[in-house]
Amino acid sequence: MKKVEYLIGNKHFKFISSPIYNSLVCDFICDLSKVLLQHANYKKYPDIITLAFWCRKQNIDIMKRNFSANELRVGLGLVFHITPSNVPTNFAYSLLFGLLTGNSNIIKVPSKKFEQINIICDCIKKILKKKKYIQIKNKITIVRYNNFDEFTDKISSICDARLIWGGNKSIKEIRKFTLNPRSRDIAFSDRFSLCAINAQSILELDQSGLNRVVEKFYNDTYLVDQNACSSPHLIVWLGNKGSKAKNIFWQKLYKYTLKKYTLPKIASIDKYTKLCEDLINLPNIKSHKNYTNLLHVVTLKNLDFNINKLRGKWGYFYEYNSKNLDYIAKFIDQSCQTLTYIGISKDILKKFVVKNNLKGIDRIVPTGQGLSMSLNWDGYNINQALSRIIDLK
Amino acid sequence: MRELEKILLEDPYSMDKQNKDIFFKNYINKLTIHHYNNSKEYKKLINHLSYAIKKKNEINKIPFLPVRLFKELNLYSVKKDKIIKVLNSSGTSGNKTSKIYLDKINALNQVKVLQKIMNRMLGKERLPMLIIDRNIKNINRTNFNARVAAINGFSIFGRNHTFLLDENNNINYDELNKFLSRYGNSKFFIFGFTSFIFENLIEKLKMNKIKLDFKNAILLHGGGWKKLENKKISNKTFKKEISKKLNLKNVFNYYGLVEQTGSIFVECKCGYFIASNFSDVLIRDSNFNLLKNNQKGFLQLFSLLPTSYPGHNILTEDIGEIIQNAKCSCSMQGKRFLVHGRIEKAEIRGCSDAE
Repeated sequence: MKKVEYLIGNKHFKFISSPIYNSLVCDFICDLSKVLLQHANYKKYPDIITLAFWCRKQNIDIMKRNFSANELRVGLGLVFHITPSNVPTNFAYSLLFGLLTGNSNIIKVPSKKFEQINIICDCIKKILKKKKYIQIKNKITIVRYNNFDEFTDKISSICDARLIWGGNKSIKEIRKFTLNPRSRDIAFSDRFSLCAINAQSILELDQSGLNRVVEKFYNDTYLVDQNACSSPHLIVWLGNKGSKAKNIFWQKLYKYTLKKYTLPKIASIDKYTKLCEDLINLPNIKSHKNYTNLLHVVTLKNLDFNINKLRGKWGYFYEYNSKNLDYIAKFIDQSCQTLTYIGISKDILKKFVVKNNLKGIDRIVPTGQGLSMSLNWDGYNINQALSRIIDLK
Repeated sequence: MRELEKILLEDPYSMDKQNKDIFFKNYINKLTIHHYNNSKEYKKLINHLSYAIKKKNEINKIPFLPVRLFKELNLYSVKKDKIIKVLNSSGTSGNKTSKIYLDKINALNQVKVLQKIMNRMLGKERLPMLIIDRNIKNINRTNFNARVAAINGFSIFGRNHTFLLDENNNINYDELNKFLSRYGNSKFFIFGFTSFIFENLIEKLKMNKIKLDFKNAILLHGGGWKKLENKKISNKTFKKEISKKLNLKNVFNYYGLVEQTGSIFVECKCGYFIASNFSDVLIRDSNFNLLKNNQKGFLQLFSLLPTSYPGHNILTEDIGEIIQNAKCSCSMQGKRFLVHGRIEKAEIRGCSDAE
């Protein structure tokens, strides 16, 4: 039978818009940070730790400060969140975005029963028991259902904004259900990401520095099977010290993955099949190097205008040597989301953006922060996207 | 490849380990060179994998193709006008199917080797054959290509072919009784898919409706255990049930892939698949390191047959295990191994998916 399971809340949704970053919400999120870290099982899940870290007071304060308070902004009302089916904690960030911007929220979580979802919901429920948070309670509805178009249709028709995670296919599916004329759709489509590394900077690192860089790179990639939209697929080596730096870097990464990463069985075949296909089909391959099946690196002779087709998963990278960053600018298209970087100054990056009229790239962050969620995401300023401005003169 | 003709004269399980290792090293390297010289795609792949073509490489060092590559690409090592037949794998709806390109020689060798292996089990004479399926004329060919191909392929080892099921998938007792009363008193051959055998012979067949039992039958079945695993039926229980109900003791499971049609693996009486003179197996972990005997991993299969397409050395998506010191009293030479089913579909982490 088609059914909606209410993990938090019930079918009596409220449409409450409150001012953005109101202090009750901020307190609630700080409490969530603490309660998550008190949960018996939190240590098993690095993504829970990351979430708790994100929720801590200091971080919320920074976000609040970054938001220009001169404007009078309030939430839109009811936000419907459709979260990706295979990232267990994404729904929580989506909810927090909605709360911070002053909205009531209906969150659809993955139908797969991730333990992380239980932990987070348990913690939220625990905090919501406090009398202080009775208003917040009215703003959180968390649902789980599968193949129940009627529900998606109904909520779409009444919500003030819809946040669709999950890529092009999901967006197309969900957009079949029309919104109110006044309502907004915020959709995160399939994206491509890349990483630029200053080769010289790798050669200058000592062992512990190198270890840190490799660990950060691992966290941006292998930690999510290199399958998040902000995980880099293409590595651009800058400078003419490429080959030595590459060897050191990949070798170190391989050793790290040997200790840390278990390649899922089917992934291992998928990865190798993709490699064989690429080696046969791609016209611009210079060479290929593998470190068992854990790490594959395909070196490209030149770039073409299809870089977003270069998609490795589970530790499969394409690399390209470039004298400078400017050269790659013409290959950056709308599909490019995140540029992570190692050993490049912010100044150079800023010039790169300003000078080149880039068609894509919405985020430029140091390697290690590729997956850090922020209210500037995918080219949207979520603060603005989920709130409305009241013009007071 | 003249050596193939030579071993076609021998018993298919005659080579001891030492001889087989030498023979395979020779032959698989030769095949690798053949495909390298005759398939552009294969050559490009081998070059990019930084593999140096030599005559005397250890076979475990030669790059293997993942079976799925035959679904993604059209791979053949002969001129296109020499291709006389394209085999397709089952491929459930929506999935791509493998395309295996055969020229005359390759197709003929498949039949010869299959015959060799089948003769060992059935004897040299064609036996009356009961097929646990519908008449292949009534099977939708576009959907069940592999099923039709298997039935067709094995039919040449039988005569007086009789199909157990009518058009509505019901057991045709009239036909069955006709068959049993004519041929049931001496050796006959039963062929079918494992799940069909279980469903029809074990679950549905009413013994009081038939005149003779199956004690003279030799049953060959294949196609995988997935459906039966869901019913918690192991190979052992399967055999036990067949023996108990039908008084049928000669039951053989076979394992084979469309990518290596012909050099199939037939189970011995002790319940192990045996690599014949025409095939060999290795086991690898997910990083593709070789595993030792009695360790479970991906089955890598070698076959001497593929000449018109580069399928002589493939990595399957099946989990297997080579059994050392198998408690096997059969006199046949060749590695003993078990197949533990296919790996599950990937669970993809990452954000580009929502239900």
